[in-house]
Amino acid sequence: MNKYLVRLTLACFSLFITSAFAADAGLPRVAFTETRLDNGLRVILAPDHSAPVLAVNVIYDVGSRNERPGRTGFAHLFEHMMFQGSENVGKGEHFMLLENNGGDFNGTTNEDRTTYFEIVPKNQLDLALFLEADRMGKLAVNQVNLDNQRNAVQEERRLGIDNQPYGKAQLEIDNLTYDCFAYKHSTIGSMADLNAANLQDVQDFFRTYYAPNNAVLSLVGDFDPAEAIEKVKKYFGAIARQPAPPPPPVCEEDRYGERRETVMDPLARLPLLIISYQIPPGNTPDNYAARVLGDVLGTGKSSRFYQHLVKDKQLATDVGVQVDARRGISSFYINATPRPGVNPEDMEKAIYEELDAVAKSGVSNDEIEKARMQFRHRMVQGRESALITAIRLGQYAVYFNDPDLINTMVAKYNAVTTEDVKTAARKYFVVNQRAVVVAMPEPQAGSAAGQPGGQQ
Amino acid sequence: MKRTLPSCIQVVLAVCVLVSAALAQQDKGTSVKAVQRLNRAPVNREVLQVKLPRPTTIKLPNGLTVLLLERHKVPTVNFSLWIGTGSLDDPKDQPGLAKFTADMLREGTAHRTSAQLSSEIDAMGGTLNAESEFGATYTEISASGFAENADKVLDLMADVVLNPAFPGDELDKYKRRLLAELEEQRSDPSFLGQERLYRALYGNGPAAIVSATPASVQGVTAEQLKQFHDQHYAPNNSMLGVAGDFDTRQMTALIEKYFSGWKQQKSAGATPVPGAPAPYKIYLVDRSDSVQTNILTGELAVPRNHPDYLPLRVMNHVLGEGTTGRLFMNLREDKGYTYGAYSSLDADTYARPLIANTEVRTAVTDGSMHELLGELKRLREEPVPSAELDDARRAMVAGFALSLERQTELLNLWMRVKHNGLPEDYWDRYPAEIAKVDSAAVQRVAKKYLDPEHLQVVCVGSGKEIKDVLAKYGPVEVYDVDGKKVAP
Repeated sequence: MNKYLVRLTLACFSLFITSAFAADAGLPRVAFTETRLDNGLRVILAPDHSAPVLAVNVIYDVGSRNERPGRTGFAHLFEHMMFQGSENVGKGEHFMLLENNGGDFNGTTNEDRTTYFEIVPKNQLDLALFLEADRMGKLAVNQVNLDNQRNAVQEERRLGIDNQPYGKAQLEIDNLTYDCFAYKHSTIGSMADLNAANLQDVQDFFRTYYAPNNAVLSLVGDFDPAEAIEKVKKYFGAIARQPAPPPPPVCEEDRYGERRETVMDPLARLPLLIISYQIPPGNTPDNYAARVLGDVLGTGKSSRFYQHLVKDKQLATDVGVQVDARRGISSFYINATPRPGVNPEDMEKAIYEELDAVAKSGVSNDEIEKARMQFRHRMVQGRESALITAIRLGQYAVYFNDPDLINTMVAKYNAVTTEDVKTAARKYFVVNQRAVVVAMPEPQAGSAAGQPGGQQ
Repeated sequence: MKRTLPSCIQVVLAVCVLVSAALAQQDKGTSVKAVQRLNRAPVNREVLQVKLPRPTTIKLPNGLTVLLLERHKVPTVNFSLWIGTGSLDDPKDQPGLAKFTADMLREGTAHRTSAQLSSEIDAMGGTLNAESEFGATYTEISASGFAENADKVLDLMADVVLNPAFPGDELDKYKRRLLAELEEQRSDPSFLGQERLYRALYGNGPAAIVSATPASVQGVTAEQLKQFHDQHYAPNNSMLGVAGDFDTRQMTALIEKYFSGWKQQKSAGATPVPGAPAPYKIYLVDRSDSVQTNILTGELAVPRNHPDYLPLRVMNHVLGEGTTGRLFMNLREDKGYTYGAYSSLDADTYARPLIANTEVRTAVTDGSMHELLGELKRLREEPVPSAELDDARRAMVAGFALSLERQTELLNLWMRVKHNGLPEDYWDRYPAEIAKVDSAAVQRVAKKYLDPEHLQVVCVGSGKEIKDVLAKYGPVEVYDVDGKKVAP
């Protein structure tokens, strides 16, 4: 969920720090230092003088998993409130100050965290730090702004979910996959819960979660570290520490038997199949094995799904794979569109045959090598952007207490063997842990304006 | 592996001539709503002046223009080949031929099958794509990979460009996939809006078309693809850009190795001459289960090298760029009608449109139409206050530092200069040229290109709920989601 439509294509970006290329992985190492202020704020500094820019990321250890029933969507609504002004920044001024000085920025919320970031020309370090510190310490909210952003968020939901084909199906898959409330409900939330959110909720949430001891600041780019840490202390040092927030609910792996649901979708013209399997949390050996498996099955036109289901059997027009690396129990998602005229059940059966084939015979060395090259290429492309690097450092710190994952993740991915992939397929691609949503087109109600005998 | 240090980019701090008093004053004179300026944040008043590194440009004997941008920041190479053809060259009865030709390049060559091409590029962790977007004056083939694989990546890229085989069985499969895509895109409200808007803007001209049709897909033959390729894919009509971790001399030799055998052709890409603009009208695309109305307004602007382009760019920034544009501030931050409201200025070697768009809940369609049209009117009738203009010009120049990060972005900036026939020092002069745009110039182009007599408005939404509302704003023509006109 983004504050506004992202103009930066984050997926294409990433970071780079020194010119020392590690010969084995082909990845430039990100050199960084860590400091903790007296108030608990964790600060990560990674200087990189390759371009005259710097990126600031402040990530808070709170996401939609921390929400309570009756307030779904609140973490994200709160994220919007962080752009509405603080003691020394007026409404709309945050946007103006950054954009008019050449910066770009956004905020995003997911299940596991909320993060705020900006990238600016290198001479605007003070501005970026000041803006983040002012809203961490002295957020200003009022009823008018809350009502305004509630409207904006509800339109965000309509834009992304309610007015799009397959929107309902996309929400339904997590509702089926998870039993624990933390991951079962959507980050965007329900319209009723968004309506129920009030100013007291905003104030309570701010006090509980938006504290320096619950945040990580990462700074990447063209700056002097000694000068930067002094400025960080100057702007953030006086913000008071708060009591530690209540621990989030822990989601356990569920063993529930297959769950299925068919969603009739008046906005769709073709069916869509979404399958999910529960897999272990991110940054565990089995999660890396699942990611390798996801790449073998679904990344690139030489992948098994594309070659077998789209090209050879022509059962699907498209098959996508997405493998989560959440803080808790994650999901392995498969999205597939049957070719018109193909029975969705036949396509679904063929998908399971592919999964069974991996469980039975594993994958080849060539396939593993290919996945490693693809992963390494994606990671190295990310090194070009200070912003991607800042976001990754912060996220790895909050998720796994290990910002150095930015340097070690390729090795962890590469450590997965063909045997690991086979074992993971056997362990996780089981009917008992599968949720399936089928979206079926439902003929439109009929347009009054467009039909003879309608309201006109 | 031995690497050189990243070349330092020349950076000069200079006091910006653009900003003058903008940041010192309160919002007196700024007519943007929903903004409260406290002016307490520490802002560096200097605009960081940056100079974009220039590529080495050469021309092969067969006419292929090559831009080489050597950068050693990451160990990768990106290739981008622009071939001067596209949908504007499609036969009238076969919309999509340029797209089909580009899409089929990867489906087999004289030397490799479709599956072999995919295996070889994926094995290197690289990418290889061909794309011809409707309305664009070029078709792009792009590829990327690790620096150590540059030779192999370029070999594959040259193979698909020079020797495509258009195998019949692959074409049949491609057609089936594409037919499904054509069906699926009709469920997407933004596609429906684009389809109607470009038709309204360009009438019966080739630039009006944004998609193939089921009939054009079903009818296309391998022979037609081959002909289109032979006729329009030529080195003298093309530009190859390379950015990344390579040695310029060695890369030049590689490019000569793979592309010097490419034969020249006589043909040049077509550039459409738009007809007279259509009169103001509102088009309703009736998508009966919509819970939002997608509102788009459009009017043709100018070619990229036209003198009005930069004043239009500044005007667009004031109107609808990012979160500081008037549309965002008004429709979202003040009214709460929408998640986003923006405008964008497109430009190519011929006039493309300036489009404003927003998506609003059905119940506030009326208010949103009123505000959006009101913002266009305000730009025509009132000069942009000096502080707001200063902000826009400063933002456009200050943001340049951010484009120095990514090699593909830098390369793209230079390819645009070349493609549009702009001077070699275009980006060096850009800050000064932006500084020259004054509020009189902005108002002049607003009057000319936001002309209410010729504005085209498209709304995609629930007809029974919004048709009467839209009728308040002018004559309404109704279409269904299949693109067919509905009898009044």
